[in-house]
Amino acid sequence: MVDLTSTPILVTVILGVVGLAIPAIDAGRRERGIDRNKLYSAIAFGALAVAMGIVIFKVFTGEVLPAVAFSEGVLVDDLFGSFFAIALLLVSLMMTASSWNYWKGRSNPAAYYSLILLSSIGMVLIAYSTDLVMLLVAWELMSLPTYALAGFAKRDPVSNEAAIKYFMFGALSSALIVFAIGLVYGMTGTTNIGDSVRAMTNLDASMMPVGLLAVALFIAGFGFKMGLVPFHMWLPDAYEGSPATIGGLLAAGTKKAGFAAALRVIVLGMFALNADWTLTLAILAVFTMTIGNIGAIMQRSVPRILAYSSIAQAGYIMIGIALAPYSDQALSGSLFHIINHAVMKSAGFIAVAAVAVGLSAYSLEKYRGLAKRMPITAIVLSISLLSLAGVPPLNGFWSKLVLFGAAINAGPLVEWGPWLAIAGVLNSALSLGYYAWIMRKMYMEEGPDMSKVKEPRAIVAVLVFALVFMVGFGIWHAPLLEFASQAVPDLSFMSGAAPGPLGR
Amino acid sequence: MVTEFFDAINVWLIWILPFAGAAIIPAIAKGSKSARNYIAVGFALASAASAATLIPTALAGHEVHSQVSWISALDLKAGVLADPLAIIMTNLVAWISFLIMVYSLGYMHGDRDLTRYWFFMLFFIGSMQLIVISDNLLMVFFGWEGVGLASYALIGFWYHDRKKDYVGVEGHRAGGIAMWTAPTHAGMKAFLMTKAGDVMMLAGMFLIFAYAGTFGFKELLADQGWAQAMAAENLLVPAAVLLFGGAVGKSAQFPLNEWLLEAMTGPTSVSALIHAATMVKAGVFLVARIGPLFFALSALNTGQFFEVVAWTGAITAFLLATQALVSPEIKKVLAYSTGSQIGYMMMALGIAGISLNYVDGYTAGFFHLMSHAMFKASLFMGAGAVLHTVHSRFMTDMGGLKKYMPKTYMFMLLAALSLAGAPLFTSGFWSKDAIFAAVLESGYSQAMPLFIMAVVVAVMTAFYTFRMIGMTFFGGKSKHVEKIEHEGHHVHEVGAVMWVPFGILAVATIIVGVSGFLFEEQLHHLFEEYLGESFGIHEAAPATERVFLNLNPVAAAASFGAFGVGAALGYVFYIARKADPAAIGRNIVTRGIWTFLYNRWYLNTALYWGGVIGPMAIYRFIWRYFESTIIDGINPAFQGAMTYMSRWVKGSQTGITQTYLFVFGAGILIVVMLLLL
Repeated sequence: MVDLTSTPILVTVILGVVGLAIPAIDAGRRERGIDRNKLYSAIAFGALAVAMGIVIFKVFTGEVLPAVAFSEGVLVDDLFGSFFAIALLLVSLMMTASSWNYWKGRSNPAAYYSLILLSSIGMVLIAYSTDLVMLLVAWELMSLPTYALAGFAKRDPVSNEAAIKYFMFGALSSALIVFAIGLVYGMTGTTNIGDSVRAMTNLDASMMPVGLLAVALFIAGFGFKMGLVPFHMWLPDAYEGSPATIGGLLAAGTKKAGFAAALRVIVLGMFALNADWTLTLAILAVFTMTIGNIGAIMQRSVPRILAYSSIAQAGYIMIGIALAPYSDQALSGSLFHIINHAVMKSAGFIAVAAVAVGLSAYSLEKYRGLAKRMPITAIVLSISLLSLAGVPPLNGFWSKLVLFGAAINAGPLVEWGPWLAIAGVLNSALSLGYYAWIMRKMYMEEGPDMSKVKEPRAIVAVLVFALVFMVGFGIWHAPLLEFASQAVPDLSFMSGAAPGPLGR
Repeated sequence: MVTEFFDAINVWLIWILPFAGAAIIPAIAKGSKSARNYIAVGFALASAASAATLIPTALAGHEVHSQVSWISALDLKAGVLADPLAIIMTNLVAWISFLIMVYSLGYMHGDRDLTRYWFFMLFFIGSMQLIVISDNLLMVFFGWEGVGLASYALIGFWYHDRKKDYVGVEGHRAGGIAMWTAPTHAGMKAFLMTKAGDVMMLAGMFLIFAYAGTFGFKELLADQGWAQAMAAENLLVPAAVLLFGGAVGKSAQFPLNEWLLEAMTGPTSVSALIHAATMVKAGVFLVARIGPLFFALSALNTGQFFEVVAWTGAITAFLLATQALVSPEIKKVLAYSTGSQIGYMMMALGIAGISLNYVDGYTAGFFHLMSHAMFKASLFMGAGAVLHTVHSRFMTDMGGLKKYMPKTYMFMLLAALSLAGAPLFTSGFWSKDAIFAAVLESGYSQAMPLFIMAVVVAVMTAFYTFRMIGMTFFGGKSKHVEKIEHEGHHVHEVGAVMWVPFGILAVATIIVGVSGFLFEEQLHHLFEEYLGESFGIHEAAPATERVFLNLNPVAAAASFGAFGVGAALGYVFYIARKADPAAIGRNIVTRGIWTFLYNRWYLNTALYWGGVIGPMAIYRFIWRYFESTIIDGINPAFQGAMTYMSRWVKGSQTGITQTYLFVFGAGILIVVMLLLL
């Protein structure tokens, strides 16, 4: 029996009702003169804010189960889910608020906001799922609206191409996930994640290859959303081609939902299989960050740079997942970096949206002299890029510190652990190559037109919020890290790892 | 965690408020200029009020300690510690800073860049409060660097480098080095020289951290295993001396004293803030903060550390007092005097650690810090008022101002008497006397040389103080004053917004002076309890027999005598003008001494040749023969490699969906194979 007052249900009801009501209202209204975009933006923002408020309220009142819990039902109201719900709703909130300006004068605002809300439900439910079927349903609920959103500019061939590519790979990955779920069900006779993990621990040795195949399919299926190399090829095209706010939603939101699913299924499932799987993820992590960074260096379009950068960032997050059994800080580092990256990358894409509104341009050449033309946008974009690169004292530095520190501390248990930290540090240095390049264009060069451009007000508000978040949690990151470390299970017992010298 | 923060919110606010004020000042400046000025002062007042709420805690001998987790990966906590020491200091800083902010309303009136001024003043106060109120060395260091940054920005505040903002006599060179300095240069010099101390402090801090695993003062005291481990490797005293290196830089002690004089290029209100409440006092406070800790460890032979402190202080006191004798600029006289008086404080805090009665020396040093803060702030603001009126920094351009600026004259005289140590009714007398007594009673084998140096410095102090007052306010009007009067400037008293702040401080120094021995006793009592409870430091033996008003007879006689001799000489030369100081120039020996002192013992010259010109030549060599050949040779290769790889990745991103699907499929196979590995 589902508890109707639990967080995921409340969020689903609120966002679902409002998400369905917006098109209904739109169908009923025909009078001119009212800016429909602003109206729906405000409604959607309000609904998301209420949902966010409920999640935070539930966390503070302690009605939420600690860490990762399993249940007999299909959903569980635990801290892990709430952590992701906060991060994901934050992204949706920022995107809806900036759409107040960005979506002005574009087609079909009702459908646009409705789809964002429905996709948000999917993202949040993924984080709370404890059943593979529920997870699949939530996965589809998250993905289907975003296919439509990616191709929302229907007269724009680039947007259409983005949507088609995204959809093809989405369909492929969904098929792989269904296949993997089928294999798990065949082996264990249940779709409940907790039960199947328990059943897999006693798996007959002859079934092991099938179990590994299921894991591989899960990695491929979720890895598509997470942007892992080699499942990343669609990603730059889709992020760049989509409208900027949707690019942000994909990079900062759905990508994180992919991590939530992966953490729920792959990591826990693999513990059960007890295979030497961590090296696989570590290799994927190194390739992901390196290919992402190298790919970004020569790009000429800012959203495309951000897309490649988000591939690289997925690699950093993977460090924590690969090292989960060896260090008690690895997973909390991953979660910490996930919420940081959600805000940093959203800020980046929203800054791109602001430039798109102000200058109708995406190309790096058009960013020349931006510091004079759109000072707030330029400074927030710069700070978010620095934070992505991991420059202290911004929040991105601290999550990277925790991740790399975990990798070094894992040294006594796995000899390749420290190499992940070295790869991460070298990649961070490399990434400054293109982050600093953008800043150089904005601050040190001058374009042909240096006239001041009005910065859209709602977007400025969101950017300032992101700035406060990045700098504030950079100076005092303890609350966020504490939240993250409470939301992850302590897996170190699996390999008998002692708490690292960094301690907790 | 959050509740702990709010329970001690008044302590946190002491340093948070000035920073918050600094942050919003630029925004307010967009709206209203006058609102900006008053809000800046308001934030200083709010911080001071927050500090004042702690006074009952200090009087009751309690303390407030509040911590929140900060960098959890290293188990570091951010915290505030309001113990009696910190509470007295924070109130001193807050209220004097507030008065200086009020004074700034008048002094800086009409300056074009006031937003920057208020921003950095508040930033300065906030950083200083962070130093005072933090419970660990790491946060202290943040404040420490904040103070350094703010001082750099404020010393170089008038960055247009107009001639009138320089210090030093134009054309004066010593050993090939120009002795007159532009504001921007002075700011940089202050920043870099204090940085030399900061690096030492950082090394000392982390040395201790490496052994103790904590920066917290409380934690360092609670578990002293780290100290034993360090002492076993002979690292304890070096670490302490390195920490003291930070204090040497910040407090302008020998050999890092040269920046303090050039720091006079800033607005006078800034000088007052640097010399009275913030910056230079940070070093003394640091020694007062860590001193008891190292004294509590005296079983581990930490006495050497205190010897270093005491001698550094004594040398600085002497060095700078001699230079003050010959300076022609009013603010520079005061600057030399600050360094010299800080030397006294260091001497007292150092001698405390060598003697049996730690509390005596400690009280003396801190008492002198308090009284110096009051009279020096007052003197600087008074000097600022004079500068404001006569538009010149040279005392030879003043003279006879007594009847034009009666209030400034009166208050400056009171504060100056305190600096000179006029017996029985000035705070400076009591605190200086306490230092003499502490040195005499220390039982330190080299106490006598220290004592003699201290007395000689006291004679010189009285002399240069009277010289300054005499040259500024007595005698006839100088040519410069006549000239500006002729040009139509009316030489007049400054407004109330300026004289009230330094008037308050001048009167306060006399009130403390009149009740001097009571005040000292109270302070002594407070510190006795504080040191006893927190550090287990107790009075080892009853103090030596004392007579009238609890004075040590020898020390008191020396204080009276030093003031008498110095003041009499000063009076004869500069107030009564019975003898002509120009006579110095006629004798080859006195002239030689004069030149030596006027060229600042050639320390500045040595500093520039050894610290600037020499290294620059080496760097140029390295650049020429290493960087431009080797490094510049490697860089393009690296760049080329990255470009090549990036092209390759870009090339694989064909845009053709079939390729993508192929890679995806291959990826699944690779993952399966990796898993089966």
